Amino acid sequence: MLKIIGVSKSFGGIIATNNVTIDLKPNSINALIGPNGAGKTTIFNLITGNISIDKGEIFIEKNNITNFKETEITHTGIARAFQITNIFPTLTVKESIKIALLAKRHGLNNMWNRFATHSINAEASNIAALAGLKKVYNTISSELSHGDQKLLDIALALALKPKVLLLDEPTAGMGPEERWEMIKRIKELWKKTKMTILFIEHDMDIVFDIAQTIYVLQQGSIIAEGTPKEIKNNNEVIKAYLGGGKK
Amino acid sequence: MNFIKKDNFKRDALIGVFVWLFLLIFFFIFPYPGIHDIIQKVFILGLFAMSLNILIGYLGLIAFGHAAFFASGAYTLGLFLQSNIVISIGSLSIPAAIFSAVVVSSILAAFIGSICIRLKDIYFSFLTLAFQMLIYSIILALVSITGGDQGLMGGFPKPPFLGIDLGKPFDFYAFTIFISLVTIILLRQLIESPFGYGLRMIRDNPERPAALGFNTQKHKLIAFTIAGSIAGLAGSLQALLDVGAYPEWAFWAKSAEPLFMILLGGMHSFLGPLMGAFIFEMLNDFVTANTRYYGLVLGLVILSFVLGLRRGLLDWLLMKFYRK
Amino acid sequence: MEILALFDCIITPACLISQTAGGLKIGMLLFLVASGLTLVFGVLGVINFAHGALYMLGAYFSWQIMTLTGHFGLAVISGSIGVAIFGLLFERLLISKVYNADLLVQILLCYSVILILDDLVMIIWGDEFLSGIGIPEIFQVPPLFIFDAIIPPFHIAIVIISMIVALILWVIMTKTKFGKLVRATAINPKMLEALGVNTNIIKAGVFMLGSFLAGLGGALAASLGSVVSGMGNSIIIESFIVTVIGGMGSISGAFLASIIIGMARSFGAVAMPLFTDGIMFLIMVLVLIIRPEGLMRKKK
Repeated sequence: MLKIIGVSKSFGGIIATNNVTIDLKPNSINALIGPNGAGKTTIFNLITGNISIDKGEIFIEKNNITNFKETEITHTGIARAFQITNIFPTLTVKESIKIALLAKRHGLNNMWNRFATHSINAEASNIAALAGLKKVYNTISSELSHGDQKLLDIALALALKPKVLLLDEPTAGMGPEERWEMIKRIKELWKKTKMTILFIEHDMDIVFDIAQTIYVLQQGSIIAEGTPKEIKNNNEVIKAYLGGGKK
Repeated sequence: MNFIKKDNFKRDALIGVFVWLFLLIFFFIFPYPGIHDIIQKVFILGLFAMSLNILIGYLGLIAFGHAAFFASGAYTLGLFLQSNIVISIGSLSIPAAIFSAVVVSSILAAFIGSICIRLKDIYFSFLTLAFQMLIYSIILALVSITGGDQGLMGGFPKPPFLGIDLGKPFDFYAFTIFISLVTIILLRQLIESPFGYGLRMIRDNPERPAALGFNTQKHKLIAFTIAGSIAGLAGSLQALLDVGAYPEWAFWAKSAEPLFMILLGGMHSFLGPLMGAFIFEMLNDFVTANTRYYGLVLGLVILSFVLGLRRGLLDWLLMKFYRK
Repeated sequence: MEILALFDCIITPACLISQTAGGLKIGMLLFLVASGLTLVFGVLGVINFAHGALYMLGAYFSWQIMTLTGHFGLAVISGSIGVAIFGLLFERLLISKVYNADLLVQILLCYSVILILDDLVMIIWGDEFLSGIGIPEIFQVPPLFIFDAIIPPFHIAIVIISMIVALILWVIMTKTKFGKLVRATAINPKMLEALGVNTNIIKAGVFMLGSFLAGLGGALAASLGSVVSGMGNSIIIESFIVTVIGGMGSISGAFLASIIIGMARSFGAVAMPLFTDGIMFLIMVLVLIIRPEGLMRKKK
């Protein structure tokens, strides 16, 4: 579904991404892990067109989308949720989702209807349900709990009806119980929509529980790739994380 | 009462008609020219302030040079009515003049806006101010056309149209308020449309819209142009009221006035700036009647709002009595 | 547009020299004021729109002291110090409350202070123009003739004073401990606080310095012309332009920009007498479009 092939990026001499290749199968759920500073968010930024690629190519379903701009990427079926919640503080959950739905399809040029009674209301409601935000549908975003804000961030991404969903540390800042709630919700989402998901995560228990394929990134390079079982027994990975190796 | 609750165009239009009729009756119940004058002024300044609030309150862009469009509207109307075109189109002159004022201001706003929106934050603000002062300088320099620092001299005719004679106080009063209310109702529609929510989206998070496939620059430019055209309309009405146009209307201090009104009335409510215009005008009248030191009083009032209340009056009232 | 007049002027030594001298005088006086503005912005992150009002206070204070003592030097120095003290109060009581606020709030606060001060000086000193404080006796001599250009020696003195002030400012900022602390505060105040430095004192000190400079500019302006309410309102715009063109927070940028603006005004008055101010704004527009961060990017 989503292929990034031999992608590299450096910033003024420092190599941030080094010849990375990731091949996500359709309807799969994958994790991207690695120590802090490994360059995980950078890869997301490269995919979504926030930063330009030095070398390599990106394909989605056989379409070459290398170096597409951020707004163009959203039309290719890729959507993203952010590490630091990136929402609209004064808008309610309902308004935020509606706006996200309208944004992509140029509905925001409309000056003739009233936003409040727009026909998009039904669709927005569905997305809110999908993201588990029904209870707080009319709450102002800035008043949401941290967990709900993260869900809203995901809901905004869902509004793009993506085929590929990139989640950047969806459980960041959450306590253990909240984390499993979030993962449950992501699993449900995945089952319902059959999307391809790639998420960045630090909690290894969660990663091993839910991911089908794990990519391990260290200092910009992929050092391992495989199923949870394979990764658990991978020497390189153990060295990277624990500083020792199995003999 | 449910009808009032339903927020749609028809309701707004009906409220507008009622307000207009009410104010017309008011004219005869309270036949004091001073009061009529204030009401007209409040609407004209209110339009000016509400147009700026499109940018400040809804879009989050602090424009310092908004009076440039007020002045361009005023001078365009004045020059139009002073020209020979009046002779050829006679009774269509005033509508045509106002229309031209709006068109010229829109074009100016589109031009200036397209350059300014490329910059961020304070640089955006400064560039709008620089453009305004540039226009001010041009107005002063082109003495033969604009009258220089004296302003547009010699007055201009106000030919009657559609049975309305702007020379008569009642006609002028009714006309000005009518135009203002129509504009306010249309503006409300704009603000409550998807377009309007696009503005709020940009204000709340300027970077996020791109990740949703939305081109913010185009949106900002359209908003800037609309804001400029309404300011131009306000300027043209002011020119009709004063039968003239003055360079002071293009000076930076004139841009501060709608800012004050937005501060006083509130930037987060739709009619906040209008209430602010009312407070401003009341302050103006009351203070200048009692003391020469208008600046001192205005300065203290603004200071107390900035440090004390921290939000406009209408915003504060709505917060207190109407929690969403 | 009198381009020919400009051309004529440039090829005539008398005109060329007198306009250049005039441009320097305008520029250096402007630099005194603008340096204070850009310093305050660079360190405190505040655009002190009331800076022109401080300039006006400098003129009024020095006028008052001149009227009381008749001593030029004393009037100028104590007038400037008076403004510095006023600046301290202004900073502690009002400005510090809006350090991290919106630009809009800062501007509104400063503008309200301008309104208040403009009226306050009228209440205290009357609404009439006050005649200037005149120039010191040493300079009450016939003007110099350089290549037939008429140059009053006092104008030269002003230019020299301003350059000396610029030099002192540079030395303070780069060579003294205070200067180092100031520059550190501009970059990372929280870090300094964590190291036990009281940044409030530094901030107040910087604001006082900026106010002193504005006051000094006003006092010198009082020697060149009359003193009246609202006289700060045009200098603030010019200072703004200088600050933006030179690069916000850059004193060397302000120096360069002040000279450019001074020359533009001086020669512009010859070429386009009705549009002299317009030239300045045109330059500002062009700089903002082509290089918004200013001529001298502030080194962080």
